[in-house]
Amino acid sequence: MAIAIATPARLRRKSHARWSPWLYLAPALITLLVWIYWPLVDAARLSFYQWNMLPNSPQTFVGWENYQRIFALPKFWQALRNTGVYILGLLPLAVLIPLAIAIYTHDLPERSRNIYRAIIFVPMIIAPVVAAAVWRWLLDPGYGLANQAIKGLGFDPVKFLSDPDTAIWTVIVITGWKLMGFSTLILSAANANINPTLIEAARMDGAGKWEIIRDVRLPLLSSTVLFLVVMTILLGAQWSFTYINVLTGGGPLGATTNIYYLLWDFGFSTMSVGWGSASAVILFLGFGVIAFVLFRLIDRYSFHDN
Amino acid sequence: MFRTTIIASLLALSTAVPVLAQTMAPSIDTPVTIRFYNYNLATAGLGAEATQKLINEFMAENPNVTVEGVGYSSADSSRIQADLAAGQAVDVVQTVFSDLDFSVNNFGAQALEDIAPAAEITAHLEGMHPNGTKLGVLNGKTYGLAYTFSTPVLFYNADLFRAAGLDPDSPPKTWADIKTAALAIEDKTDAEGFTGGITGPGAVDWLLQGVVRSNNGEVISRDRKTLKFAEPEAVEAVAMLRDLYDAGVYENYDFAGAVDGMASGHLGMYLQTSALQGSLVAGAKDNYELRSAAMPQFGDRPTRPNNSGSALTIHTTDPLKQRAAWELMKFLTSEHGYTIITSEIGYLPLRPSIVEDERYLKAWVAEHPLVAPNLEQLDRLEPWDPMPGPNYRQIGKTMMDAVEMSIFGGADVAATLADAQANAQALMP
Amino acid sequence: MTTDALARPVRVRTAPLRRISSQSGLNTAAGHLLMVLLSIFCLFPVYWMLVSSFRPANAMFETSLWPTQGSLENYTTAIDAIPIARMLLNTLVFSAVSTVFQLLTGILAAFAFARWKFPFDKLVYTGVALTWLVPFQVVMIPNYLLVAHMGLLDSILALILPNIAAALAIMLLAQAMRGFPKEVIEAARMDGASNWRILWEVLVPNLRGTIASLAILIFISTWNEYFWPLLLSRTAENSVIQIGIQMFMTAEGNAWGPLMAASTLASLPVLVIYVVLQRQVVQSFMKSGIR
Repeated sequence: MAIAIATPARLRRKSHARWSPWLYLAPALITLLVWIYWPLVDAARLSFYQWNMLPNSPQTFVGWENYQRIFALPKFWQALRNTGVYILGLLPLAVLIPLAIAIYTHDLPERSRNIYRAIIFVPMIIAPVVAAAVWRWLLDPGYGLANQAIKGLGFDPVKFLSDPDTAIWTVIVITGWKLMGFSTLILSAANANINPTLIEAARMDGAGKWEIIRDVRLPLLSSTVLFLVVMTILLGAQWSFTYINVLTGGGPLGATTNIYYLLWDFGFSTMSVGWGSASAVILFLGFGVIAFVLFRLIDRYSFHDN
Repeated sequence: MFRTTIIASLLALSTAVPVLAQTMAPSIDTPVTIRFYNYNLATAGLGAEATQKLINEFMAENPNVTVEGVGYSSADSSRIQADLAAGQAVDVVQTVFSDLDFSVNNFGAQALEDIAPAAEITAHLEGMHPNGTKLGVLNGKTYGLAYTFSTPVLFYNADLFRAAGLDPDSPPKTWADIKTAALAIEDKTDAEGFTGGITGPGAVDWLLQGVVRSNNGEVISRDRKTLKFAEPEAVEAVAMLRDLYDAGVYENYDFAGAVDGMASGHLGMYLQTSALQGSLVAGAKDNYELRSAAMPQFGDRPTRPNNSGSALTIHTTDPLKQRAAWELMKFLTSEHGYTIITSEIGYLPLRPSIVEDERYLKAWVAEHPLVAPNLEQLDRLEPWDPMPGPNYRQIGKTMMDAVEMSIFGGADVAATLADAQANAQALMP
Repeated sequence: MTTDALARPVRVRTAPLRRISSQSGLNTAAGHLLMVLLSIFCLFPVYWMLVSSFRPANAMFETSLWPTQGSLENYTTAIDAIPIARMLLNTLVFSAVSTVFQLLTGILAAFAFARWKFPFDKLVYTGVALTWLVPFQVVMIPNYLLVAHMGLLDSILALILPNIAAALAIMLLAQAMRGFPKEVIEAARMDGASNWRILWEVLVPNLRGTIASLAILIFISTWNEYFWPLLLSRTAENSVIQIGIQMFMTAEGNAWGPLMAASTLASLPVLVIYVVLQRQVVQSFMKSGIR
């Protein structure tokens, strides 16, 4: 398309184009470099040291010891497995259900659409610790409303948070409860951005409601959906952090510990710069590889779109 | 290792002030400001109010001293670490006992013997319970003075006891009694029988230390060089708890669920720090009768409870500030100070005589019988030994993870503890 | 095809519409039922927070749907214990300023990614995305030292500085800009519009929906931020509301009543902002629909 434009203009833009993207990027990049990358590079170095961060105490070089200790943590592989469970469990709550809600509510009359979306959004505004406390009350085996209903139906009370097999799903659902509004908002915005003439055109061609969703909306939403999927995969472990921290402390028996919580527990919360830095490097590199692969996949996928 | 620690601390100190005994100024002639890092101040409630009140009273009595209270989170001391790194003055700290070793070796907590005149120390410690003054002693020197601390007590729900056909006037004394009582409660009521704040993320290892000691074991040797939580006595103590769980009477609550379970009247017995008394009383009011008993013992062996809570530590190396900090420390741990701490925050008085004294706590103790087992246990109080070295938190976590697996996870107790002990010993300095 | 559809008069639509509506009556009812169930799931815990904030301490674990002995005691306690109005104001300033800056830096950076191909663009984009993965605890103390060197301890400005740019804003906006019809940009360029003008007069107005929803998300995540303010603020007067809420959780037990009251008070401003911005979102969609 650009080739059609007259040559002199193109040349001028070319020389411009060499530095103008960097001008636009500068405020964001400088902020991220100063506040995130600079400490991160330092952390990469410090992950080979034992140090308490105080200026007058020595930094002792310990080689790979910090890394060895983290990989030797008895809960490491359990936490890695749990991280996978968190991601799989969160995907429906953070992507599928919000997608359905966004598409369904889009065709509703304005008033009910706004009410539904507002309601689904409400959990987001509640402070995480408060959300955790309220959920714990509702789910308590003794006085919790949920279990009184279960008992009322004649079943045994469910130990939502203290049964090792159930606890992780409870934390996932609570995380998802808090997250649904976020994804719904993003997907609704993307859905509304779809040019109505495209929908109209499909309808004129005789497409039914489902065909419009399948052939027009979903393909056009695919890049946003992928974005949310990537976000869930990369950040799912972090999102559940507060709830793990307040509700289960990683227990019972490590059943709700994910990799982020484990590294926080042994690394960041211990004032040992070495452990914390090594934890950060492991997280960064581990998820970084995943991110790289995912972005490559998206690149290939979204090529079709254009 | 011990020697290198000394050399390191000598080096650290030599940059500021030469290490001499009794470095502090004899008196405060010029205005001075000290910063007091206090975790009660980071909360909203009685603890913060009482603390601020004590600080204000102190400043009124010592017009030359300004005390700047800085709240920090007790769960992680990153505020202190960050401020030391940023060159901010950290003069006095309310230090959790399990952090004491780290605080001495990394945050420059000073031994009282090194900075204060011996006669003054002796005079101030006069009237304190000897078991209490031992709590902040590390490697033979007093680095911390017990400040807000308490002992484990068995809270129980007298109404549930009656409903289960038990006599609330003779609460369980031994772990075997606990099992019997808990079985009766589980059997005859809808409530859970027993739980303890022994495991769980907020617990660290303070309650475990006391339980294991009560069976004549210890989790770490007295010189804090060798971990011993996989020795037979400790294994036996943990196996006993495991037996309670297997019998279905030791409820494995989620993290914060136990306090709410007890407060709401859905739990029969709860072994926990007496510091929680206030919130349990608030929940019990008009709902059920809350009582307390001493920590349970193994057979006929007397218990060896240890403390939870915090000590005051002095970190400044400036002679004038040291004097001001020492005066503040003396004020907070005076008869009056402990009266406020006990009656308004809910901790133990380190000066037993004030409990009998009309001017201080006599009336209050008469009105608050729940505190009695706590006071009685002072006579058998032992220190909450901090894990040593830079990896002390990881050592503690490794141990507590294994204990949790042993009690609730169906793991083989002896093998699990032995395995964890080997792992944790490798992290020792 | 697009122009075809536009050219056709509306009258054709009536017939198929009626056919669909008779058959989708059941569908709609089922849809509404699901949405109502979902709404209960979303709202009930929030309702429980509200109800609990009116319960006295010894009735905190009651299961009645309505407080039996409702009182405002928790609210007076909370307001007495922490400077709640001041904290809300601080949080409002912190969140609003951070949101504006993140949107600004995000719009500029996103435009660079969407508009040009330049050396290392993929690498830089990935670098931005990867900042997501850096645990805050690692950068926390170095950032604190930097702020201390600037002499900004215990100030709102120090809270804001590291929040001037964020990956989420950049990525979401870049994605929205890439999806924007290239023909429109091309047309503007043919008219001689500079990049700067294309960005602010073509892209930004048309992406208002995305920008408004992004603003909501940034505002709320800043509102809920906890660790950085915890490290930075030393006086309650310079603190934010999340710190205030957590102040009711103490080593001597948690004061649930005042905590619920403080949290209810903290939620209200965010709800208002959502409703206001949501209207903005809807209106901009209507506009873009008409276009």
